Amino acid sequence: MTKRILTLCAWAGPATVVIALIGWLIAGVLPIPLGSESSVDNVVNFYSHDTRVIAGLVISTLGVCLVFPLIAVIGVHMVKMEGRTPILTFLQLITGAATGVCLLLPLLLMTTIAFRPDRSPELTVTLNDIAWLLFITPIAPFMIQNVAIGVAILNDKRQTLPRWVGYVNFWIAFSFIPDPLAFFFHSGPFAWRGIFIFWLALTTYSVFLIVMGLTLRKAIRESADPDLSAVAATLA
Amino acid sequence: MTHAQARIDPDLPEFLWGSDSVEDAPRSASLRPTKTRPGHTPGEAGLWIFILGDMTLFAALLIVFLWERRSDPVAFAESSHQLIQPIGAANTLVLVVSSYLVVRAVFAHRGGRYPQARRLVGGAVSCAAIFAGLKAFEYYSEISAGHTPSSGTFFTFYFVLTGLHLLHVIVGTALLLAWQTMLTRQRPWTESQKVAEGIGSYWHMVDLLWVAIFALVYLVSAE
Repeated sequence: MTKRILTLCAWAGPATVVIALIGWLIAGVLPIPLGSESSVDNVVNFYSHDTRVIAGLVISTLGVCLVFPLIAVIGVHMVKMEGRTPILTFLQLITGAATGVCLLLPLLLMTTIAFRPDRSPELTVTLNDIAWLLFITPIAPFMIQNVAIGVAILNDKRQTLPRWVGYVNFWIAFSFIPDPLAFFFHSGPFAWRGIFIFWLALTTYSVFLIVMGLTLRKAIRESADPDLSAVAATLA
Repeated sequence: MTHAQARIDPDLPEFLWGSDSVEDAPRSASLRPTKTRPGHTPGEAGLWIFILGDMTLFAALLIVFLWERRSDPVAFAESSHQLIQPIGAANTLVLVVSSYLVVRAVFAHRGGRYPQARRLVGGAVSCAAIFAGLKAFEYYSEISAGHTPSSGTFFTFYFVLTGLHLLHVIVGTALLLAWQTMLTRQRPWTESQKVAEGIGSYWHMVDLLWVAIFALVYLVSAE
């Protein structure tokens, strides 16, 4: 039973990507999101299709929250890696939870903007700016989470997860570094909609969710069932 | 048998240890039982995911930089002339020297000559410090001349590319210092091969990235 729950939690990683992307496609955040250079009319227009936008954003809000089971199952495996003093495990759990909240809040904010789209356009633009900048720029928790996972994997003698997963985590952490540039630029590749900000972060975060989900699933499948070994221990 | 022993000289790079001819293959396999196939990945295979991923990102940045240059080559040339080319060239030289010192340090560590390896790594760290110092001076003189990241596409890319690269230099310096600590504790090569070679490979990547940035931002754009 435990094994089945662990596997479900691992699958929550890839599921996060799929459900969040479906939600964003319905809402119209994808394929081309609002940018910092979008006109006031564009922004107001986007939120005026309220039912569709709200429905899509609600779906993506649910999808993004599937990252929490993944963080939990990463934690379980990191405890195995670290043994008696699981400091990196705790660090991963704290920063992972913070990352989840940082993803959740901007989406809720966008839903709130669509809740009353006939307000003064200036307010809509301001709220939209807050939502997007909150979404893109708080990278530190996620980078710390990546580094914690990477260091734990590389220090693990038992190879609970393959070592390349550790290096992938370092690379993903690096790919988020340009994100705070979104504060400085209103257009071009370093604005929040630019390829080195939104698109790069979206790609590498998806890589993180899928790689962690699939490698953990494999690790779970190859490990002994904790329930059965507990039974065996009692019998012995 | 003496011939077989002479094949492994820890002072030499691995590719100089002797020919991998067919009749010799089983013998060398028995000497190094952990290695089942010829050829050797520096550090470990996973590390190269990071290194190639990192270089892909820089390549993407440079491609977009060149793409933007196409639309306004004159402005790019004018901006590029504002950079201090001798400092860029000096920094290239400094990093190439540091890479050489790192190579020597790997061989010294492999040969068990810890004090020499420590000095060589220390030399590489000094090179990194010189690089960062020159870079800081360059930033200072550019910003005081009124060229900031927001003054045009060229300077945006210049500061982003060199800033990200400088971050790599800082991380690399921390890694070199960690290696030096290992050398102080005289950790033998067999235990530290992955880490030492990994740090060396990372440092070469930092060097290579700078060569690409210098060529494209300082030289090509100035054309």
